[in-house]
Amino acid sequence: MKRRLAFAFSLLAIPAIADTQAVIDSHILPRHGEFVAATSALASVAENDCTADALKPAFSDAYDAWISISHIQFGPIEEQGLGLAMSFWPDPKDSTGKAIARLTSAKDPIVESADFGEVSAAAQGFTALERLLFDPQPDADYACALTQAVANGLVDKAESINAAWPGFAGLMTEAGNDRFQSEEEVNRALYTALSTGLEFLHDQRLGRPLGTFERPRPRRAEARRSERSLRHIELSLAALEELATTFYSGDLNLTKSAFADARARAAALDDPALAGVADPSKRIRIEALQRTVRDIQNAVNTEIGKPLGITAGFNALDGD
Amino acid sequence: MTTRRAVLGGLAASAFLPKTGWSQVGEPVALSAAQRPDGALSLVGLDAQGTIVFEIPLSARGHAAAAHPTEAEAVAIARRPGRFAVVLDCAEGRVRTTLEAPDGRHFYGHAAFSRDGKYLFTTENAFEKGEGRVGIWDRSAGFERVGEVSSGGIGPHEIIRLPDGAFAIANGGIRTHPATGRDKLNLETMRANLTVMTPDGEITDQKQLPELHQLNSLRHIAALPDGRIGCGFQWQGDPFEVPALLAVFEKGKGLAFVDMDEPDLRSLNAYIGSVAAIGLDGFIASSPRGGKVMAFGADGSLGKSFSASDVCGVASSAKTQTLVTDGSGQVYVFERQNLARLAQHDRAFDNHLVSLNS
Repeated sequence: MKRRLAFAFSLLAIPAIADTQAVIDSHILPRHGEFVAATSALASVAENDCTADALKPAFSDAYDAWISISHIQFGPIEEQGLGLAMSFWPDPKDSTGKAIARLTSAKDPIVESADFGEVSAAAQGFTALERLLFDPQPDADYACALTQAVANGLVDKAESINAAWPGFAGLMTEAGNDRFQSEEEVNRALYTALSTGLEFLHDQRLGRPLGTFERPRPRRAEARRSERSLRHIELSLAALEELATTFYSGDLNLTKSAFADARARAAALDDPALAGVADPSKRIRIEALQRTVRDIQNAVNTEIGKPLGITAGFNALDGD
Repeated sequence: MTTRRAVLGGLAASAFLPKTGWSQVGEPVALSAAQRPDGALSLVGLDAQGTIVFEIPLSARGHAAAAHPTEAEAVAIARRPGRFAVVLDCAEGRVRTTLEAPDGRHFYGHAAFSRDGKYLFTTENAFEKGEGRVGIWDRSAGFERVGEVSSGGIGPHEIIRLPDGAFAIANGGIRTHPATGRDKLNLETMRANLTVMTPDGEITDQKQLPELHQLNSLRHIAALPDGRIGCGFQWQGDPFEVPALLAVFEKGKGLAFVDMDEPDLRSLNAYIGSVAAIGLDGFIASSPRGGKVMAFGADGSLGKSFSASDVCGVASSAKTQTLVTDGSGQVYVFERQNLARLAQHDRAFDNHLVSLNS
């Protein structure tokens, strides 16, 4: 009986603190709307002029919009299997370079067909577009056709996930369906997006180029060709902070202060492609930023995860 | 060979041998270690509807269990690098006896009974030398330790009994020492293998992983009725450079890795937590780190994939339907290539769901 009362109380208590509706209305839906608009703008520029100089500003805006929702890996993007087709990174095997080279050397006509979505995910997203715009291309005409195909494909993908979001949002707000059996599961999905996004920021966006002190890996920085590596870190910090503060209305002092610290450190770096990982005097500041991201992870666990009763994976963390 | 003492010990032990089969403890189909909301640990039996039909307290976190082929008895093995395993009377809900790893050995989390139920085999680490062992325990002598053999490699994890009564062992290849916990001491030289041995410990088949898979640790295996073995790996290198995570072993043919496209491969997060054999020619594998259950065929073909957060326990089944469990108390049924929710419990189900019907 005692436990039943405690359970009932927790049901009443959670909605006031964790606000799924707010996350949908002021975080997920508007950012997906912006992503559709930015990819559409990119595709219309590409239709008229597919030279790198003409496309770079629209490419930058659309890539910004993607990075700003790239932490939302559940829902329509997962169900439609489109995550890697948006951006194929990390890519240690250079699947992107190989896929583009393969299409180009064969002058594969698939770029002119409706089946372009069937090509390797590595040739479909922003990572492919960056190569086309920032690396010299042996065949300008084919590169143009491929650029247009990637841009148009990004619009299709953006529209497809954006169109599916309202329906999926309904499953989240009306928990008790096959996808979300309880509000707790919805909270877990949102918390996982937040914690996984922070982990990706720490381990991949910062961790990959940092490598080790003995062996820094500057060429592993995300979007280093377009010198957007640091920008992606700042965009994901902003997006994850908005998710955290929109989702959870309880005490977030530690979380907010850690985010502010990270933002300040990132802003002070002045190292767009994170080339400084290989320079000991600059590296130390990138390592400090990475530690601050760890502080955010810990703060989020303490201030959001624990109060919501969300424990990290019993099995996922055990590892055996 | 049989000493007077062993015979006497066996006679004494037989006085309290169980007389109760699994059908008398609520028709469980699978066993799992679990954690209750207050942190208390247990071993539970689940029936085909996903209902908990019995629950026995454990004093430490279990990893996997070995089910006796006929009697309502299970051995729960401590989480690595534990030194204890407990023999549970599932009818009475009590600990019958405790197995303690000998000096210089610790358990690796899995065990299997011989087909006649007379002996228990445990995977172990002879940690000063870093060599894998299979410990042999005589049930009729109150689970007396009667010997050990080489596991055929380093870091043996899962051991299973094959349909013909032989055993298969997943030697993960990773050396550990209890003084450094779960630290991996030999990643640069590790090499996993699958070893098949007779109940006498004679190695009859062994397949080492190829060079490309030097960093792939074989941890979990499951066998079909025809003896083909599904294999699940845990990649120790860059998670974005995984060559493969699933394979099928067939006697005389070696290992065939399951080919996946990059999105599927990445969805598993470099980690398979458990493998089960389903029906006559299929397998399912779980990835708690990817939150996925993935089906694959004995022919190496890839089946459907399902999302399930912190999922790990998958039970082998001779039928085409089986149970799956996760870390937040969910029980699923996998049937006709589909995963559906079956029951929800106030428990965290631990890594392995051990089948009672195979």
